[in-house]
Amino acid sequence: MKLSENSNAVSDEKPPGRAWLMGLVAWFVPGAGHLLQGKWGRAVLLGGAVWICFVVGLAMGGHLFSPQPSDQGSSAWLQVPPMIANLGSGVLYLASWLMGVGFSDDPAHAARATYEYGNTFLLIAGLLNYLCMLDAFDISAGRKS
Amino acid sequence: MRHFLVMAAFALLASVVFGTVAKDTNRERLLYGAKVFAEFLIIGLALGWILYFIPF
Repeated sequence: MKLSENSNAVSDEKPPGRAWLMGLVAWFVPGAGHLLQGKWGRAVLLGGAVWICFVVGLAMGGHLFSPQPSDQGSSAWLQVPPMIANLGSGVLYLASWLMGVGFSDDPAHAARATYEYGNTFLLIAGLLNYLCMLDAFDISAGRKS
Repeated sequence: MRHFLVMAAFALLASVVFGTVAKDTNRERLLYGAKVFAEFLIIGLALGWILYFIPF
């Protein structure tokens, strides 16, 4: 009985709106969520890791995923999971999309020796930023120091 | 050698983030980050050797 009361008490605590804003900022600009909360060290480490991962991934010729009009059936759906991972990079993904960098799908590009490494770095940059986003959210919500 | 360096760079970046978000004190973060980094490298090398002997 006590356990259920305690768990209800925890679930009833709603995070403040500021925490959601910090999470959004942390997703949009990697490192900014911690920076705005005065966590300079974490901002440099986390933001730096995500930015470096993304830039190195692009430099190695990695491919950013997005649904293409030419994809049909299951091919289009298979683009969605890696696109969600790529989207985690926030403004980096959006800026690349606007500039048309990293989205090319030509065979010469894919023949580069570092193509798969680049893909992995780009995917991991987004996934790591999701972790950073959750960390910024937790700090702002007071769940973490 | 280049493959190993790329793997080490990947392991370093991932372990920095894991170490920073997972623990509470700087000492714990450093130890956990170093542990994750070493695990990435050791498991990567082990998998590389295992896959080397698989003919397909």
